[in-house]
This record gives sequence, structure tokens and C-alpha cells, in this order.
Amino acid sequence: MEVLLYSLRKLLAGIPLVLGVTLISFLLIVYFGPDKTYELVGKNPTAEQIAEVRSQLGYDRPFVTRYMEYLREIVTLDFGSSESTDEKVSSILARTIPVSLLLALPGFILGNALGVLLALVAAYFRGGLVDKLIMGSAAVGMSVSYLIAIIGFQILLSSADGLDLFPVRGWDTSTPLAYIQHVTVPTLATVFVALGYNTRFYRAVIVEEMTRDHVRTARAFGIPPAKIFYRNILKNSMVPIVTRVVFSIPLIVISGSLLLESYFGIPGIGKVSYDAIITGDQPVLKAVVALTAILFVVAQLLTDICYRLVDPRVSLGASTR
Amino acid sequence: MNAAAEAMQRRHGDSLWNKAWRKFRHDRVGVVALLVVCAYAIVALGVVLGWWATGWADISGPKWAPLSSEHWLGTNIIGQDIFSRAVYSTRTAFEVGLIVALGATFIGAVLGAIAGFFSATWIDEAVIWLMGVLDSVPFILLVAAIAYSLQDSPWAMHIAMIATFWIGTARLVRGEVIKLKGQEFVESAHAIGLGRMTIIFRHILPNTFHVLLVQATLSFVAAIKSEVILSFLGLGVKDGMSWGLMISESTFEVLAGYFNNFIAASVLMFGLVMAFNMFSDALQDALDPRTVK
Repeated sequence: MEVLLYSLRKLLAGIPLVLGVTLISFLLIVYFGPDKTYELVGKNPTAEQIAEVRSQLGYDRPFVTRYMEYLREIVTLDFGSSESTDEKVSSILARTIPVSLLLALPGFILGNALGVLLALVAAYFRGGLVDKLIMGSAAVGMSVSYLIAIIGFQILLSSADGLDLFPVRGWDTSTPLAYIQHVTVPTLATVFVALGYNTRFYRAVIVEEMTRDHVRTARAFGIPPAKIFYRNILKNSMVPIVTRVVFSIPLIVISGSLLLESYFGIPGIGKVSYDAIITGDQPVLKAVVALTAILFVVAQLLTDICYRLVDPRVSLGASTR
Repeated sequence: MNAAAEAMQRRHGDSLWNKAWRKFRHDRVGVVALLVVCAYAIVALGVVLGWWATGWADISGPKWAPLSSEHWLGTNIIGQDIFSRAVYSTRTAFEVGLIVALGATFIGAVLGAIAGFFSATWIDEAVIWLMGVLDSVPFILLVAAIAYSLQDSPWAMHIAMIATFWIGTARLVRGEVIKLKGQEFVESAHAIGLGRMTIIFRHILPNTFHVLLVQATLSFVAAIKSEVILSFLGLGVKDGMSWGLMISESTFEVLAGYFNNFIAASVLMFGLVMAFNMFSDALQDALDPRTVK
């Protein structure tokens, strides 16, 4: 019951954020967006024709009305049709989001799993040669641009000058083998770029937990190191680790995929957003911006609520105040 | 910093900055990194003053010429000299990095300090709300949306980066200011009747300068890295030359087996980003009172 109330309060607290992100996307894309009147009126329009088109586009209505209209579009998921392909935006989303997930998931999972693993090893040998080696490589990996990593792996693995093992670009999920062939190079690039940041972050978290008093006490009691490592260190490190993972989910779906998909020509949501950006396709653009931002807010709220479920130390607000 | 605190520190002979400088000097990696950054800065300055790389846009050789004494790194697909283009791009990188780092740090400092000083009031809530909102819009889409509404202005990239990067700085500054505002020197400032804005900007904010310095270096690196990706996507540098544009040019060349453009831009960019990252790390260590030399 308490948890339910807490969740409800959190959801209420999310409303200003959702209003904020929708307001920003409305302002940038719809309100201050390009004026479409003269694309539609044709040659030598009369003043009446211009006024008519403007009222069709809704330009003559007050700000609040237009914003409400936009909110209604978001709630009903009815953004109209793409200006370039005439396909309904909702069906574009349904078609492309699964592709993006299939593309992004392997790299996301590997990048985080390997990051935690390397961070554990580095933290375990803190100050030693292994630690320095891992953290040095992480610093190098962090300095390589995503784009450079993508092109580098492409040259090494897909071009005639390299090993020529995988297709240069494109997407095919008809068979598991085809899927693996097409997903490998993008995944490697993603993991390569994410690994440095992840390892560094996770190592800092684990080292922080290692230097806490209860760990020292446990050590003084003679509890075996492996047990301390698992019970006192790893378990406590999970909270910040899980936060980072959850928070990056909405980002990998859009931002991460935008570059990958437009580079490899993969028909996911990132490619669609990229095309919409380039051609100025307003319905697609406003759908993508609003929905990802809302997704992000929701992910934040869910993390908060999950904390409440797993971590009794997190205060309930009302009951303590 | 106000005079009293300064005098006190002089008596102890050990200000944060003295200590930091001593620690930094002994950090060999950090010093080397700083020297590398300075070298890049000189290259960039030379471009601004017109000492070198003036012919970056001229078509001065055949298509895809190999390395030679005339074209140190060969030429690109239309016969422009890759070396001068890569050198010229150093200037662009510094331009983007400096504008974004200064802008983001300034806004972050001002809003963070105000939010921290008025913590737990509606002003603080409003700043926190703004940070949450801007944080929730994915970066590339924010750039795209800003570029879209500014009708492809060349400043869309800078504005979008500043609009995103100030948030991290503001969060940290807010935390610092909340810690500082209960201290005695702030109480004394209140007691002698100074205005609130004077207290925030003359007395509290200068004490967060170490946070601002580190954050500025982080924004600088982030800006250079983002520029490459945004320029490749067609949302970045509009006129002039940059490493991002060079790499995006090279995507057609590498599959035909010509790597000069790609390697020149990647290596130069990697060097600067790596040096800046290490400098930033060393700076953080040096300014962290918890680490002992």
C-alpha cells in the first residue's frame, strides 16, 4: 500500500516533466518550425488563399490551442502521415522499433556485462598492473570517436582491404545466420565505444563500495574475501549499476541507433528519424522527439519505484516528514 | 575569493590552488597531456593568424595523390591537400570546443549557483525542472529539433550542445553552493548587509571555480567528439572544414581503399581528445582534497 502510494506520488511528480518535454518539442518543431504555407499555396496566391492555407495548418489559432492539439496527438498516438512517404507515423514506428531493438540489444548487453566484468577485475587488483592496463585501455577507448570506431571496424572486417567477413552495410533478419552477419560489425563498434565509459564508471562504483567501513569490519572479522566481495561489495554496487543501465535504455533506442542505422542503412527508428531530420518531415520528427523524451521520463520514474522496492533505505517522503 | 579567507589561507600557506598545482606538477601524465593540448592550441592559433593551412580549400593536385613532399598526407577525392585540411580543422575543433565549454560553463555556473542559493524554493524547483526536461530529450534529436527551428543556422550545433552540457555543471555547482552557503563567510557577508546577488556571484561562486574548471575541460572534449558525429549527420559544421567533415568525406574513400583522409582526421582528433581527457583527469585528481600526494 505504502509502495503504491509512493508510486502514485512519483507518477504525479512526472507530470511537469512530461509537460516540459512535450512543450520543448512543440516549441522547436511545431511552433517555431518552418512555415509550410508557401509550400502549399502554389504560384501567385491571393491574400485569401494564403489565409485559408494558414488556417488549415492551424497557424491562426492561439498558442495554447495548438499545444493542446499536439498533446492530443501524443495521447492518441495519432501523428498523421509522413510527408515524404505518406505512411502513417504510428505504423512507421511499429515497423521500425523492433529493428532498432534487435540492432541495439546485443551491443547494449555485451557493453554493460563486459564493463562490469572488467571493472570487477580492475577493482580487485586496484593499483596493480592489471588495473593500470585495464584503465589505460579504457582511457584510450574513451578517446575514440564512435564514427571512427564504426569506420575502423568496417574497414577491418567488411572491406576488401580487411578480412572481408561481413556485409558492408544493410540489414537482413530472415535467418539467424544473416542476422548475426549483419549485426556483428555495428555491435563491435558499439561495445568498443561504450566499454571505456562503462568500465570507468563501474570501477569507481565498486571501489567506492570496497572502501566502506562495513567492508573493513567484515575483513577484520575474518570473513573470506570471496564472500565479502559478493555479499558486501557486489550487492551494494548493484544500485548505481542498475540505474545507469536503465537510464541508457531510451537513449540506445534512438540516439545510439541514429548514427549506426544511418551509416549502415538499417531501416530502424534511428534511420527514420535521420531521414525526417534531413527532409524536414514534421509529423515523424515530432512523434520521435516527444515519444523518446516521454519514454525517458517514464524510465526514470520506474527506476525510482524499483529502488523503493529493493532498497529499504530510500525514504518514503510522506512517512518520514 | 574574499580577502579574509585568502589571508587565512596565506597564513596556512596552503590554498587549494597551491596544493593542486603541487600535485599536478608531480603528475607526469597530466603535465605531458597539458603540453600536448598547448601544442594543438598553437597550431589552431597559427591557423587563425594565417600562418599555415591557408590553402585548405584549394584544389592543388590530382585526385587521391599519394604522400609526397608537396602533399604530406596526399590529396582527397577532388585533389585538395589533406594535411592542410587536417591542420585547419584543429582551429574548428578549438572554436567549437571553446565556445561550447565557455557557454555551457557560464550558464551552468549562474543557474546552478542561483538554484543552490535559493534551494528548496520555487526558483530551485524551476531550475531542477528545466534540467530534467532538457536531460530527457535525446541529444541528437535536440540538435535536430534546434537546427530545424533555426532553419539550418550554423549555430544550431553550438546552441544545442550548450543547452545540454550546462546541466552537468549546474548540478555540481548547485551542490557546492548548498554546502557553502551555510559557512561563516557567507553569514558575515549577510551580516554586513551585502545584497544577495553580490553574495552569490562575488563570494560564493568564486569558491566553486575548481568545479567549473574541470567541467569546462569535460565540455570541451564532449563538444569536439559530438562535432564529429553531428557533422557526419549533416547537422554540424556548415561552412569551413572540420575533422567530422573530413571523416564523413572519407566514408566514400575507405571502401575504395584510400585511407589518408580518414587516418589524418582520426589520428589528430584522437590525440587531442586523449590529451584533453588525461589533462582533465589529472586536474580532477589535483583539485580533489581527498587524494593525498
